[in-house]
Parts: sequence; C-alpha cells; structure tokens
Amino acid sequence: MISELLSSIKRNCKVYFKDKGMFFSSLITPIILLVLYVFFLSKVFKDSFVSSLGEVSCPDKLINGMVAGQLCSSLLAVCCITVAFCSNMIMVNDKVTGARNDLLITPASRWVHAIGYYVSTAVTTVIVCGVAGVGSLIYIACSGWYLSVGDVFLLLADIVLLSMFGTALSSVINFFLSTQGQMSAVGTAVSAGYGFVCGAYMPISFFGKTLQNILGFLPGTYGTSLVRQHAMNGTFREMISMGWDDSVISEIRDSVDANLYFFGNKVEIWVSYLVLILSIVLLIAVYVLLNMFCGKKKNK
Amino acid sequence: MKKVIEIENLHKSFKDVHAVNGLSFSVEEGQLFAFLGVNGAGKSTTISVICGQLRADEGKVTVNGHDIEKNMNDVKRNLGVVFQNSVLDKSLSVIDNLKYRAGLYGISGEKFKKRLEELCALLQLSPVLKRTLGKLSGGQKRRVDIARALIHKPKILILDEPTTGLDPQTRKLIWDVINSLRKDDGVTVLLTTHYMEEAADADYVVIIDGGSIVAEGTPLELKNQYTGDFITVYGVEEEKVKELNVKYEAIAGGFRISVTDISEATNLIVNNPRLFTDYEVIKGKMDDVFLAVTGKKLGGGML
Repeated sequence: MISELLSSIKRNCKVYFKDKGMFFSSLITPIILLVLYVFFLSKVFKDSFVSSLGEVSCPDKLINGMVAGQLCSSLLAVCCITVAFCSNMIMVNDKVTGARNDLLITPASRWVHAIGYYVSTAVTTVIVCGVAGVGSLIYIACSGWYLSVGDVFLLLADIVLLSMFGTALSSVINFFLSTQGQMSAVGTAVSAGYGFVCGAYMPISFFGKTLQNILGFLPGTYGTSLVRQHAMNGTFREMISMGWDDSVISEIRDSVDANLYFFGNKVEIWVSYLVLILSIVLLIAVYVLLNMFCGKKKNK
Repeated sequence: MKKVIEIENLHKSFKDVHAVNGLSFSVEEGQLFAFLGVNGAGKSTTISVICGQLRADEGKVTVNGHDIEKNMNDVKRNLGVVFQNSVLDKSLSVIDNLKYRAGLYGISGEKFKKRLEELCALLQLSPVLKRTLGKLSGGQKRRVDIARALIHKPKILILDEPTTGLDPQTRKLIWDVINSLRKDDGVTVLLTTHYMEEAADADYVVIIDGGSIVAEGTPLELKNQYTGDFITVYGVEEEKVKELNVKYEAIAGGFRISVTDISEATNLIVNNPRLFTDYEVIKGKMDDVFLAVTGKKLGGGML
C-alpha cells in the first residue's frame, strides 16, 4: 500500500508542478495580496495604529514592524486556504479528463487515491505558502524585525498547519465538484469570502458580538489568530521591554485578534492548536469516508 | 473453454434512457471478442460496468469467476483497459506516466524497468519514452495507452475503439500487438470497434442495438445467416450479365452478382462457363451483416 500511495503522491505533485498554469495561478494569490497590502493597506493600518496609541510615544520601527506583522499574518492566513483550493484542482481535473476512471481500475484502494490527493496538495500548498512566508519574513525584516528564532519556527509551523487545514477543507468541498466551472466558482467564492470570515482582512474584534461568536465556531479563525500572534509576538515583547502598560498592550492584542475570545472567554494558544488539529483530523476523516463510500460507484 | 467474462441479464439506465437492456453474453479464455454497435448502442456502458465504474441496475457480471460486486479488487489485477479517449497525463513524459501507473500496481524498481523494456520492444516506444505525452501524435499516444493497460500483464484486455482515428500503419501495429498478446501470452481481448474489417477477424462477434443483442456468432456464422455471397465477374458486357436474370451491380471493371449461397454461385458458374472466365466468389462482408441486422451503417474504412 505504501508504494501505491507514494506513487500517487509523486504523480500528483509532478502533474501540479509541470502544469505551469496551475502553479502560477496558485502563486499569484500571495503575490497579489502582498502587493495590495504593501502599496494600499499598510498606510491605512499604520495610521489606524498610530491614532489608537493617542499620547503614547512609539518608535517608527516598532510601528512598522507591528503593521508588517499584521499584514503578513493576514496574507499567510488567506493564502494557506486559497492556495490549497487552487492546488487541489488536480482532483477535479482528473474527473474532467477521465484520468480518475483510469486510476480507479487499478487495485489501489480508494483511500489510497484520496490520501494521495491530500498529501500532494498539502505538500504543494506548503511549498507555495512557504515561499510566501519567506517573502513575508523579508518584508517584516525590512520594516522592523523583532521576531525571535522561536517565533519564526512557530510561524512556519502555523503555515504548515493552516495549509493542512486548507487542504482538508478543499478536499471535502472539491469531492463534490466535477467540472472546471464548478471549480472556478468555488475558488472565486473562497478567495473573496474566506479572508473576511477568518478575520484576515478585518480583525474579528471589529465585528459585532453576535458575528464574533458565530465566527468563533470556524476553525480558520483560530489559525489566523495563531499566525497573527507569532508574526507580532516580537513587537509585543518590545512594548513590554519599553515599559508599556499591560492594559495598553492587551488592548492592542485584542484589537488585532492576537487575543481571541470565544463567547467572552480568552482562548489559550494550546486550545487554538487543538481546535485546528482536531478540525484537520475530522475533515480528513470525512474526506476519506466520502471517497470510500459515497463515490464507490456511479449510479448515474 | 473457460469463460472469463460472463454477463447475465445486464440492465443499466440513465434516467429515462435505457443504455443496456437485458444483455447476456460470455467471453471465452483467449478469445478475440468483438462488440459492435453504433454510438449510443450501449458498448461503452457495458464496458464501464465490467470495469466496476458503473453500477448495474440489474444483472450479474463475473470476471474470472469473481462477481464484480463482491470481488472487484481481485478482478482489477487481471484487467487492462484502453479507454476510448486517452486518459494519461499530458503534461508528464511517457516514462513518468508509465512509472506512476505501474506504481499503483505495486510495480517499481527493477521490476518496472524490465516490464518497460518488454513494452518498448512490443510497442516501439523507445524513441518517445522521454517525450511529453501531450506533444505526441495520436498514434504514439495510443501506443502509450496500450502500454499503460499492459503494464501489469493483465489476462483480459478491454479495448474501447482502440484504432479509431489512427493511420493505417499504427492500426496495423496495434493489431500485430493484439495478435501477439493472444498468441504468446494467451490474453483474452474484448474489443469494441467501428471498423467492420477488424470485427471480421474476431473469434466471436456480438452486435448490439438500443442496448440489446440483435445478432451474435462467429463472423462466418453471421455472414452465412445475414448476408448472401457475391460473384464478381470481370471483362464481360452488361447485356450478357442481364441475361442471367439475377441481381447485380456495376463495379470498376466488372459486375457484382448477388447470390443466396455458394451452391447458387456454383450452379451459375457451371451453367455459364463462357461468361465466367475471370471471376471471384466472395462472402458477404460484416458491413452487410451489420446493415442487415440493425438497418444502420457503421463508419470505418479498410485497413
């Protein structure tokens, strides 16, 4: 079974990287977001942050580092999901071209093909988002670097986890798709909507209480919060070392979702990880079961 | 002879369309079995059911004694399928396509290399092995499709219109390969085709129309049952042929006379020795059989 699985993973990865269109359409999301953030939103974020500080004096480097951390965390939180949907096109393409039928007449079990698609999509998503992550770190370094080695590793781990979550989510949704048109529609909807519902485009703390509570049920929210915490941790540490009041720092953390609340209760970091990991496991289980039972044979 | 594929009372509908209606037939070991029908007759649907891709509404399908509803995994190891349209990855090279498909059968390393060498020799693939599949000609792609279907040495090869749209040279190569597989490895071949001359070489032919069998038998049995024979006579005047009072048609350089069977042909020739000095007696063609049993013409040229 292992050799069958490896063969399936290698084939999917190679098809993905050989298809220039698929690869570049995946890469284009982080590039567009980075350009949009850097040229259009960074000034808005910076002005908003400075005005919220009021009388408190803050060095430019710290402000820039904080804004860069917020922008990059938003970018990465969105990319890990949208890129996964893009990478997972192979699964739908195989249905469109008939390759899926050919793969299913081999003795390899349906779960082998399902996991093959999952792992290859996760790998390609991690690679693309990893590149976006490195780009983000360079941007943060140019703006104002306060991250520790630990922060960087945790940020990269968050990228891997969020990519796995995005892949699992896209696998379950894409399972029901069988045409390029459906795939494009879902990709567009996810690209347009996910950034809002996970708190990437706008912090959840800006929303009304009811919406905040509803969004607390979505696992993506916890992923965004993790990325944000690790991208901005250095700047918060710097504020502490500068002797800022705890309440001011806490307020800033709340305003950018670095502190996340579920029905008014603060969510600890380990809980966010737990929610994300359990969601991944649950989605993968659903996806494999769908493949094993729902798609067993076409009746029509 | 052992029956390797047995289909009993197969039914399959797509909403209101009855694609297959109570189909029953069997394929014997080592046989070249031709499955004929116009587009939409139910050939591909039947093949999809045999391959386990579609669930039958009713009926039983067994392959090598295994019920496909219960033991599809046992069936898959013995089944090689060449689909109507190429389903390989166009962006990958030929060798990658074959390597990854072989991997799904647990064939890798030296075992794969050995099998690849055999297939290259059989299908003349060596010159295109490292080329991207999407850049190959239709004939080259078809050869790769067949190599893919044979990668695990199946006992049964299902070919869904394997030679449609191919040049005569490639068609001949594919037929040489099919014949060699049957002769050397005892592979059973189930074939759907639009080319009547290909069906004429089969051991057994089933003609389906509207999802049901309308005729079946060996090509000779079908020709004897559904068509007459023909005497083609050359270098004679039409007036002389007219005097025979038989049905005929003008062809290049002569006339084709229809007779019911070989004894009528013999009588005609014996009673008119001056007329029949340059002639040939020909059996009816599979095209005539198909036309007689379905009332429809099937496309296809000569090999």
